[in-house]
Amino acid sequence: MAEEGQVVGCHTVESWKEQLQKGIDTKKLIVVDFMASWCPPCRFIAPILADLAKKMPHVIFLKVDVDELKSVAEEWDVEAMPTFVLMKEGKILDRILGAKKDELQLAITKHATTEPAAPTAETAAPSAETAAKTANA
Amino acid sequence: MAVSGFEGFEKRLELHFFGDDPVVIDMGLRLLDFESIQEVLDAVQCTVVSAVGNQYFDAYVLSESSLFVYPTKVIIKTCGTTQLLKSIRPLMNYAQDLGLNLCACRYTRGSFIFPKAQPFPHTSFKEEVIYLEENLPINLCYRKASVMPSKMPSHSWHVFTASDQTHLVAQTMPAEITFTMEICMTELDRVLARKFFRRANDGKNGDTAGKEMTELTGIGDINPSAIICDFAFDPCGYSMNGIDGDRYSTIHVTPEDGYSYASFECVGSIYDDHDDIAKMLKKVVQVFKPATFSVSTTCSSHEVWTHVARAIEPLGWKCRSCVMDEFPAAGSVVFQTFTVARRK
Repeated sequence: MAEEGQVVGCHTVESWKEQLQKGIDTKKLIVVDFMASWCPPCRFIAPILADLAKKMPHVIFLKVDVDELKSVAEEWDVEAMPTFVLMKEGKILDRILGAKKDELQLAITKHATTEPAAPTAETAAPSAETAAKTANA
Repeated sequence: MAVSGFEGFEKRLELHFFGDDPVVIDMGLRLLDFESIQEVLDAVQCTVVSAVGNQYFDAYVLSESSLFVYPTKVIIKTCGTTQLLKSIRPLMNYAQDLGLNLCACRYTRGSFIFPKAQPFPHTSFKEEVIYLEENLPINLCYRKASVMPSKMPSHSWHVFTASDQTHLVAQTMPAEITFTMEICMTELDRVLARKFFRRANDGKNGDTAGKEMTELTGIGDINPSAIICDFAFDPCGYSMNGIDGDRYSTIHVTPEDGYSYASFECVGSIYDDHDDIAKMLKKVVQVFKPATFSVSTTCSSHEVWTHVARAIEPLGWKCRSCVMDEFPAAGSVVFQTFTVARRK
Protein backbone atom coordinates (compact mmCIF):
# COMPACT_ATOMS: atom_id res chain seq x y z
CA MET A 1 0.00 0.00 0.00
CA ALA A 2 1.48 3.32 -1.02
CA GLU A 3 1.77 5.41 2.09
CA GLU A 4 3.86 8.24 0.85
CA GLY A 5 4.40 11.12 3.18
CA GLN A 6 4.01 8.96 6.29
CA VAL A 7 6.11 6.76 8.53
CA VAL A 8 4.84 3.25 7.86
CA GLY A 9 4.72 0.86 10.78
CA CYS A 10 5.81 -2.72 10.04
CA HIS A 11 3.97 -5.01 12.43
CA THR A 12 4.80 -8.38 10.91
CA VAL A 13 7.91 -9.92 9.47
CA GLU A 14 6.04 -10.32 6.18
CA SER A 15 5.16 -6.65 5.88
CA TRP A 16 8.76 -5.77 6.79
CA LYS A 17 10.13 -7.93 3.99
CA GLU A 18 7.50 -6.53 1.65
CA GLN A 19 8.57 -2.98 2.36
CA LEU A 20 12.27 -3.79 1.91
CA GLN A 21 11.48 -5.39 -1.43
CA LYS A 22 9.43 -2.37 -2.44
CA GLY A 23 12.47 -0.22 -1.75
CA ILE A 24 14.67 -2.41 -3.90
CA ASP A 25 12.11 -2.41 -6.74
CA THR A 26 11.59 1.34 -6.70
CA LYS A 27 15.25 2.18 -5.96
CA LYS A 28 14.01 4.60 -3.30
CA LEU A 29 15.92 5.46 -0.13
CA ILE A 30 14.54 3.59 2.88
CA VAL A 31 14.82 5.08 6.37
CA VAL A 32 14.08 2.61 9.17
CA ASP A 33 13.34 3.80 12.71
CA PHE A 34 13.99 0.96 15.16
CA MET A 35 12.05 2.15 18.19
CA ALA A 36 9.96 1.05 21.14
CA SER A 37 6.56 2.38 22.12
CA TRP A 38 7.67 3.11 25.70
CA CYS A 39 10.96 4.76 24.81
CA PRO A 40 11.01 8.54 25.54
CA PRO A 41 14.05 9.24 23.35
CA CYS A 42 12.04 7.70 20.47
CA ARG A 43 9.12 9.98 21.32
CA PHE A 44 11.49 12.95 21.19
CA ILE A 45 12.35 12.37 17.56
CA ALA A 46 9.02 10.96 16.33
CA PRO A 47 7.48 14.30 15.30
CA ILE A 48 10.64 15.27 13.47
CA LEU A 49 10.65 12.01 11.55
CA ALA A 50 6.94 12.40 10.70
CA ASP A 51 7.69 15.88 9.41
CA LEU A 52 10.53 14.63 7.24
CA ALA A 53 8.26 11.91 5.85
CA LYS A 54 5.70 14.51 4.87
CA LYS A 55 8.30 16.64 3.14
CA MET A 56 9.99 13.75 1.34
CA PRO A 57 7.40 11.47 -0.29
CA HIS A 58 10.10 10.06 -2.55
CA VAL A 59 11.71 8.38 0.49
CA ILE A 60 10.26 5.33 2.23
CA PHE A 61 10.01 5.78 6.01
CA LEU A 62 9.51 2.63 8.09
CA LYS A 63 8.99 2.12 11.79
CA VAL A 64 9.87 -1.16 13.53
CA ASP A 65 8.92 -1.71 17.16
CA VAL A 66 11.72 -3.84 18.64
CA ASP A 67 9.32 -5.57 21.02
CA GLU A 68 6.89 -6.45 18.24
CA LEU A 69 9.51 -7.65 15.79
CA LYS A 70 12.19 -9.03 18.11
CA SER A 71 13.74 -11.23 15.45
CA VAL A 72 14.18 -8.33 13.04
CA ALA A 73 15.71 -6.15 15.76
CA GLU A 74 18.18 -8.91 16.61
CA GLU A 75 19.01 -9.54 12.99
CA TRP A 76 19.86 -5.89 12.61
CA ASP A 77 21.91 -5.70 15.84
CA VAL A 78 19.73 -3.05 17.43
CA GLU A 79 21.08 -2.36 20.93
CA ALA A 80 20.20 1.26 21.51
CA MET A 81 17.09 3.20 20.62
CA PRO A 82 16.20 4.82 18.48
CA THR A 83 18.48 3.36 15.82
CA PHE A 84 18.05 4.64 12.27
CA VAL A 85 19.22 2.63 9.29
CA LEU A 86 19.35 4.19 5.84
CA MET A 87 19.52 1.89 2.85
CA LYS A 88 19.09 1.81 -0.86
CA GLU A 89 18.77 -1.19 -3.15
CA GLY A 90 19.60 -3.59 -0.37
CA LYS A 91 22.77 -1.77 0.73
CA ILE A 92 23.17 -0.04 4.11
CA LEU A 93 24.28 3.56 3.59
CA ASP A 94 24.24 4.84 7.13
CA ARG A 95 23.37 3.90 10.67
CA ILE A 96 22.58 6.50 13.32
CA LEU A 97 22.47 5.58 16.98
CA GLY A 98 20.26 7.84 19.06
CA ALA A 99 17.77 10.64 18.44
CA LYS A 100 20.01 13.18 16.71
CA LYS A 101 17.86 15.59 14.73
CA ASP A 102 20.47 17.35 12.65
CA GLU A 103 22.51 14.28 11.81
CA LEU A 104 19.39 12.39 10.76
CA GLN A 105 18.12 15.19 8.59
CA LEU A 106 21.50 15.63 6.91
CA ALA A 107 21.92 11.92 6.22
CA ILE A 108 18.43 11.54 4.75
CA THR A 109 18.80 14.59 2.54
CA LYS A 110 22.19 13.44 1.35
CA HIS A 111 21.21 9.89 0.48
CA ALA A 112 17.80 10.75 -0.93
CA THR A 113 19.43 12.62 -3.76
CA THR A 114 22.53 10.61 -4.58
CA GLU A 115 22.14 8.07 -7.36
CA PRO A 116 22.36 4.58 -7.02
CA ALA A 117 23.95 3.15 -3.89
CA ALA A 118 27.63 2.35 -4.37
CA PRO A 119 28.46 -1.05 -2.95
CA THR A 120 30.81 -0.82 0.00
CA ALA A 121 32.32 -3.52 2.19
CA GLU A 122 30.37 -4.48 5.31
CA THR A 123 27.17 -2.85 4.15
CA ALA A 124 25.37 -5.76 2.57
CA ALA A 125 21.94 -5.62 4.16
CA PRO A 126 19.98 -8.79 4.97
CA SER A 127 18.19 -9.69 1.77
CA ALA A 128 14.43 -9.33 1.77
CA GLU A 129 14.02 -12.90 0.60
CA THR A 130 16.03 -14.73 3.20
CA ALA A 131 15.89 -14.27 6.93
CA ALA A 132 19.63 -14.76 7.40
CA LYS A 133 22.04 -11.91 6.89
CA THR A 134 23.89 -12.24 3.63
CA ALA A 135 27.63 -12.56 3.93
CA ASN A 136 29.72 -9.51 3.06
CA ALA A 137 30.90 -9.42 -0.51
CA MET B 1 40.13 35.12 35.22
CA ALA B 2 37.56 36.94 33.15
CA VAL B 3 35.10 39.26 34.89
CA SER B 4 32.13 37.39 33.52
CA GLY B 5 31.46 34.48 31.22
CA PHE B 6 29.65 31.18 30.89
CA GLU B 7 29.62 29.11 34.06
CA GLY B 8 30.95 25.67 33.24
CA PHE B 9 30.74 24.25 36.77
CA GLU B 10 27.69 22.06 36.99
CA LYS B 11 25.14 21.40 39.66
CA ARG B 12 24.35 17.73 39.95
CA LEU B 13 21.24 16.16 41.39
CA GLU B 14 20.67 12.44 41.89
CA LEU B 15 17.28 11.21 43.07
CA HIS B 16 16.48 7.63 44.05
CA PHE B 17 12.95 6.26 44.14
CA PHE B 18 11.33 3.12 45.44
CA GLY B 19 7.99 1.48 44.83
CA ASP B 20 6.06 -1.62 45.85
CA ASP B 21 4.85 -2.81 42.50
CA PRO B 22 7.46 -4.98 40.74
CA VAL B 23 5.84 -4.33 37.36
CA VAL B 24 6.33 -0.62 37.81
CA ILE B 25 9.89 -0.95 39.08
CA ASP B 26 10.91 -2.91 36.00
CA MET B 27 10.78 0.20 33.82
CA GLY B 28 9.93 2.70 36.56
CA LEU B 29 10.85 6.27 35.69
CA ARG B 30 11.56 5.28 32.10
CA LEU B 31 7.79 5.12 31.72
CA LEU B 32 7.62 8.89 32.16
CA ASP B 33 6.46 10.18 28.84
CA PHE B 34 8.63 12.59 26.96
CA GLU B 35 6.22 15.49 27.49
CA SER B 36 6.59 15.12 31.27
CA ILE B 37 10.36 15.12 30.96
CA GLN B 38 10.16 18.29 28.91
CA GLU B 39 8.08 19.94 31.60
CA VAL B 40 10.66 19.09 34.24
CA LEU B 41 13.37 20.52 32.00
CA ASP B 42 11.31 23.66 31.39
CA ALA B 43 11.36 24.27 35.14
CA VAL B 44 15.15 24.00 35.02
CA GLN B 45 15.35 26.11 31.84
CA CYS B 46 17.04 23.71 29.48
CA THR B 47 16.02 21.59 26.50
CA VAL B 48 16.81 18.21 24.96
CA VAL B 49 19.41 18.24 22.19
CA SER B 50 19.65 14.50 21.56
CA ALA B 51 18.64 11.28 23.29
CA VAL B 52 19.26 7.55 23.25
CA GLY B 53 18.13 4.58 25.30
CA ASN B 54 19.23 0.99 25.75
CA GLN B 55 17.81 -1.83 27.83
CA TYR B 56 19.04 -0.25 31.08
CA PHE B 57 18.49 3.49 30.91
CA ASP B 58 17.82 6.59 28.80
CA ALA B 59 20.43 9.30 28.29
CA TYR B 60 19.74 12.85 27.15
CA VAL B 61 22.17 15.52 26.02
CA LEU B 62 20.68 18.84 27.14
CA SER B 63 21.27 22.41 26.09
CA GLU B 64 23.05 22.76 29.43
CA SER B 65 24.51 19.32 30.16
CA SER B 66 22.86 15.92 30.74
CA LEU B 67 20.00 13.83 32.09
CA PHE B 68 20.03 10.11 32.82
CA VAL B 69 16.86 8.20 33.59
CA TYR B 70 17.07 4.72 35.11
CA PRO B 71 14.05 2.78 36.39
CA THR B 72 14.50 3.96 39.97
CA LYS B 73 17.03 6.74 39.69
CA VAL B 74 17.40 10.06 37.90
CA ILE B 75 20.61 12.04 37.49
CA ILE B 76 20.50 15.59 36.19
CA LYS B 77 23.56 17.69 35.71
CA THR B 78 23.22 21.27 34.48
CA CYS B 79 25.61 24.20 34.10
CA GLY B 80 25.30 27.88 33.31
CA THR B 81 22.60 29.67 35.28
CA THR B 82 20.05 26.88 35.32
CA GLN B 83 17.84 26.43 38.36
CA LEU B 84 18.43 22.73 38.78
CA LEU B 85 16.74 22.30 42.16
CA LYS B 86 13.42 23.34 40.65
CA SER B 87 13.27 19.91 39.02
CA ILE B 88 12.71 18.20 42.37
CA ARG B 89 9.00 18.93 42.87
CA PRO B 90 7.83 18.07 39.33
CA LEU B 91 9.94 14.89 39.31
CA MET B 92 8.50 13.79 42.64
CA ASN B 93 4.97 14.44 41.39
CA TYR B 94 5.41 12.55 38.14
CA ALA B 95 7.10 9.69 39.96
CA GLN B 96 4.25 9.51 42.43
CA ASP B 97 1.80 9.14 39.54
CA LEU B 98 3.80 6.06 38.60
CA GLY B 99 3.66 4.69 42.14
CA LEU B 100 7.24 5.68 42.99
CA ASN B 101 8.35 7.64 46.03
CA LEU B 102 11.56 9.47 46.75
CA CYS B 103 13.91 7.63 49.12
CA ALA B 104 17.28 9.33 48.68
CA CYS B 105 18.69 12.53 47.28
CA ARG B 106 22.21 13.69 46.58
CA TYR B 107 23.21 17.17 45.44
CA THR B 108 26.81 18.07 44.61
CA ARG B 109 28.71 20.85 42.96
CA GLY B 110 32.11 22.47 42.84
CA SER B 111 32.68 26.20 43.35
CA PHE B 112 31.21 28.55 40.79
CA ILE B 113 33.64 30.64 38.79
CA PHE B 114 30.99 33.41 38.70
CA PRO B 115 28.96 32.90 41.87
CA LYS B 116 27.27 36.30 41.67
CA ALA B 117 25.69 35.39 38.34
CA GLN B 118 23.71 32.50 39.82
CA PRO B 119 19.95 32.82 40.30
CA PHE B 120 18.00 31.81 43.40
CA PRO B 121 18.31 29.32 45.06
CA HIS B 122 21.86 28.91 43.79
CA THR B 123 23.04 32.24 45.16
CA SER B 124 24.82 30.39 47.96
CA PHE B 125 25.14 26.87 49.30
CA LYS B 126 23.17 27.96 52.35
CA GLU B 127 20.24 28.97 50.14
CA GLU B 128 20.50 25.71 48.22
CA VAL B 129 20.37 23.70 51.43
CA ILE B 130 17.37 25.66 52.71
CA TYR B 131 15.59 25.03 49.40
CA LEU B 132 16.38 21.32 49.55
CA GLU B 133 15.25 21.08 53.16
CA GLU B 134 11.97 22.71 52.30
CA ASN B 135 11.23 20.67 49.20
CA LEU B 136 12.24 17.18 50.18
CA PRO B 137 9.57 14.98 51.79
CA ILE B 138 9.80 14.30 55.51
CA ASN B 139 10.46 10.59 55.08
CA LEU B 140 13.97 11.63 54.03
CA CYS B 141 14.85 12.13 57.66
CA TYR B 142 18.64 11.69 57.57
CA ARG B 143 20.28 14.75 56.08
CA LYS B 144 23.75 16.19 55.89
CA ALA B 145 25.27 19.21 54.21
CA SER B 146 28.96 19.93 54.04
CA VAL B 147 31.50 21.98 52.12
CA MET B 148 34.64 19.95 51.61
CA PRO B 149 37.64 22.24 51.30
CA SER B 150 40.90 22.13 49.41
CA LYS B 151 43.90 24.41 49.74
CA MET B 152 42.41 26.61 47.02
CA PRO B 153 39.34 28.73 47.73
CA SER B 154 38.34 28.38 44.09
CA HIS B 155 37.96 24.64 44.43
CA SER B 156 35.65 23.33 47.15
CA TRP B 157 33.16 20.51 46.94
CA HIS B 158 29.63 21.12 48.15
CA VAL B 159 27.60 18.08 49.16
CA PHE B 160 24.08 17.64 50.45
CA THR B 161 22.50 14.21 50.84
CA ALA B 162 19.25 13.03 52.35
CA SER B 163 17.97 9.53 52.93
CA ASP B 164 15.05 7.68 54.38
CA GLN B 165 15.35 4.95 57.00
CA THR B 166 15.80 2.01 54.67
CA HIS B 167 18.35 3.49 52.31
CA LEU B 168 20.56 5.13 54.90
CA VAL B 169 23.42 2.73 54.43
CA ALA B 170 24.51 2.63 50.81
CA GLN B 171 24.13 -0.67 49.01
CA THR B 172 26.72 -3.16 50.12
CA MET B 173 25.70 -6.22 48.11
CA PRO B 174 28.81 -7.25 46.21
CA ALA B 175 27.33 -6.82 42.76
CA GLU B 176 26.11 -3.38 43.63
CA ILE B 177 29.18 -1.64 44.92
CA THR B 178 29.44 1.10 42.39
CA PHE B 179 31.20 4.42 42.52
CA THR B 180 30.60 7.77 40.85
CA MET B 181 33.57 9.86 39.81
CA GLU B 182 33.17 13.56 39.10
CA ILE B 183 36.16 15.40 37.63
CA CYS B 184 36.13 19.20 37.31
CA MET B 185 38.95 20.71 35.27
CA THR B 186 39.82 24.39 34.98
CA GLU B 187 42.42 26.43 33.09
CA LEU B 188 42.49 24.02 30.18
CA ASP B 189 45.47 23.91 27.87
CA ARG B 190 44.75 26.64 25.33
CA VAL B 191 45.76 24.69 22.25
CA LEU B 192 43.68 21.69 23.27
CA ALA B 193 40.73 23.90 24.18
CA ARG B 194 40.71 25.39 20.67
CA LYS B 195 39.62 22.02 19.35
CA PHE B 196 36.24 22.70 20.92
CA PHE B 197 35.58 25.78 18.81
CA ARG B 198 33.53 25.44 15.64
CA ARG B 199 35.23 26.70 12.51
CA ALA B 200 33.28 29.48 10.83
CA ASN B 201 31.23 28.30 7.82
CA ASP B 202 32.26 24.70 8.31
CA GLY B 203 29.05 23.56 6.64
CA LYS B 204 28.40 21.19 9.52
CA ASN B 205 25.64 20.94 12.06
CA GLY B 206 25.97 20.40 15.81
CA ASP B 207 25.77 16.61 15.54
CA THR B 208 28.38 16.15 12.82
CA ALA B 209 30.72 18.76 14.28
CA GLY B 210 30.35 17.03 17.64
CA LYS B 211 31.26 13.68 16.13
CA GLU B 212 34.37 15.22 14.63
CA MET B 213 35.39 16.75 17.96
CA THR B 214 34.93 13.40 19.67
CA GLU B 215 37.36 11.81 17.23
CA LEU B 216 39.91 14.61 16.91
CA THR B 217 40.29 15.20 20.63
CA GLY B 218 40.64 11.55 21.58
CA ILE B 219 37.45 11.55 23.62
CA GLY B 220 36.22 8.63 21.54
CA ASP B 221 39.16 6.56 22.81
CA ILE B 222 38.33 6.95 26.48
CA ASN B 223 35.77 4.16 26.27
CA PRO B 224 35.72 2.73 22.75
CA SER B 225 32.85 0.34 23.53
CA ALA B 226 30.43 3.11 24.52
CA ILE B 227 27.67 4.41 22.27
CA ILE B 228 28.24 8.15 22.10
CA CYS B 229 25.79 11.03 21.70
CA ASP B 230 27.84 14.15 21.10
CA PHE B 231 27.10 17.73 20.19
CA ALA B 232 29.18 20.79 19.32
CA PHE B 233 27.65 24.14 20.26
CA ASP B 234 27.99 27.29 18.19
CA PRO B 235 30.43 29.11 18.35
CA CYS B 236 32.09 26.80 20.87
CA GLY B 237 31.39 24.24 23.56
CA TYR B 238 30.87 20.51 23.53
CA SER B 239 28.80 17.90 25.31
CA MET B 240 28.70 14.15 25.15
CA ASN B 241 27.04 11.22 26.86
CA GLY B 242 28.49 7.74 26.56
CA ILE B 243 26.33 4.70 27.26
CA ASP B 244 27.85 1.31 27.86
CA GLY B 245 25.52 -1.35 29.27
CA ASP B 246 24.10 0.13 32.44
CA ARG B 247 26.86 2.70 32.80
CA TYR B 248 27.00 6.27 31.63
CA SER B 249 29.85 8.69 31.17
CA THR B 250 29.50 12.34 30.34
CA ILE B 251 31.79 15.17 29.29
CA HIS B 252 31.01 18.88 29.02
CA VAL B 253 33.41 21.54 27.79
CA THR B 254 33.43 25.34 28.04
CA PRO B 255 36.61 26.16 26.12
CA GLU B 256 36.80 29.95 26.29
CA ASP B 257 40.01 31.39 27.61
CA GLY B 258 39.63 33.10 30.98
CA TYR B 259 36.99 30.70 32.25
CA SER B 260 37.74 27.44 30.45
CA TYR B 261 36.27 24.36 32.10
CA ALA B 262 35.70 20.72 31.34
CA SER B 263 33.98 18.02 33.35
CA PHE B 264 34.10 14.26 33.14
CA GLU B 265 31.82 11.99 35.10
CA CYS B 266 31.38 8.25 35.04
CA VAL B 267 30.17 5.34 37.11
CA GLY B 268 32.06 2.17 37.67
CA SER B 269 32.28 -0.83 39.94
CA ILE B 270 34.86 -1.43 42.64
CA TYR B 271 35.53 -4.71 40.89
CA ASP B 272 36.61 -3.00 37.70
CA ASP B 273 40.19 -3.64 36.66
CA HIS B 274 42.33 -1.01 38.41
CA ASP B 275 44.48 -0.58 35.34
CA ASP B 276 41.39 0.19 33.29
CA ILE B 277 40.32 2.88 35.74
CA ALA B 278 43.83 4.34 35.66
CA LYS B 279 43.97 4.26 31.86
CA MET B 280 40.65 6.04 31.64
CA LEU B 281 41.75 8.77 34.07
CA LYS B 282 44.98 9.31 32.19
CA LYS B 283 43.15 9.65 28.87
CA VAL B 284 40.72 12.17 30.33
CA VAL B 285 43.33 14.52 31.73
CA GLN B 286 45.43 14.22 28.57
CA VAL B 287 42.53 15.46 26.45
CA PHE B 288 42.35 18.73 28.38
CA LYS B 289 45.66 19.13 30.25
CA PRO B 290 44.10 21.41 32.87
CA ALA B 291 46.27 23.48 35.17
CA THR B 292 43.98 22.59 38.07
CA PHE B 293 41.36 19.95 38.61
CA SER B 294 39.43 18.14 41.29
CA VAL B 295 38.31 14.56 41.50
CA SER B 296 35.41 13.59 43.70
CA THR B 297 34.59 9.93 44.21
CA THR B 298 31.43 8.73 45.90
CA CYS B 299 31.33 5.12 46.96
CA SER B 300 30.13 2.97 49.82
CA SER B 301 33.55 1.39 50.05
CA HIS B 302 36.89 3.10 50.59
CA GLU B 303 39.05 1.96 47.73
CA VAL B 304 38.52 3.78 44.48
CA TRP B 305 39.99 7.13 45.41
CA THR B 306 43.40 5.61 46.04
CA HIS B 307 43.79 4.81 42.35
CA VAL B 308 43.32 8.39 41.30
CA ALA B 309 46.57 9.97 42.49
CA ARG B 310 48.52 6.90 41.49
CA ALA B 311 47.23 7.16 37.92
CA ILE B 312 47.62 10.91 37.60
CA GLU B 313 50.81 11.90 39.36
CA PRO B 314 53.14 10.18 36.87
CA LEU B 315 51.70 12.47 34.20
CA GLY B 316 52.87 15.68 35.84
CA TRP B 317 50.20 16.76 38.29
CA LYS B 318 50.49 16.66 42.03
CA CYS B 319 47.78 15.92 44.56
CA ARG B 320 47.49 19.04 46.74
CA SER B 321 44.64 18.06 49.02
CA CYS B 322 42.54 15.09 49.95
CA VAL B 323 39.55 15.11 52.27
CA MET B 324 36.98 12.44 53.02
CA ASP B 325 33.56 12.53 54.62
CA GLU B 326 30.59 10.18 55.08
CA PHE B 327 27.07 11.03 53.94
CA PRO B 328 23.64 9.39 54.33
CA ALA B 329 22.84 7.01 51.44
CA ALA B 330 25.91 8.06 49.45
CA GLY B 331 28.62 6.50 51.57
CA SER B 332 32.11 8.00 51.44
CA VAL B 333 32.87 11.07 49.42
CA VAL B 334 36.55 11.73 48.80
CA PHE B 335 37.52 15.09 47.33
CA GLN B 336 41.01 15.55 45.90
CA THR B 337 42.58 18.44 44.03
CA PHE B 338 45.52 18.43 41.66
CA THR B 339 47.67 21.11 40.12
CA VAL B 340 50.57 20.95 37.70
CA ALA B 341 53.71 19.77 39.48
CA ARG B 342 56.43 22.32 40.13
CA ARG B 343 53.86 25.12 40.44
CA LYS B 344 54.30 27.40 43.47
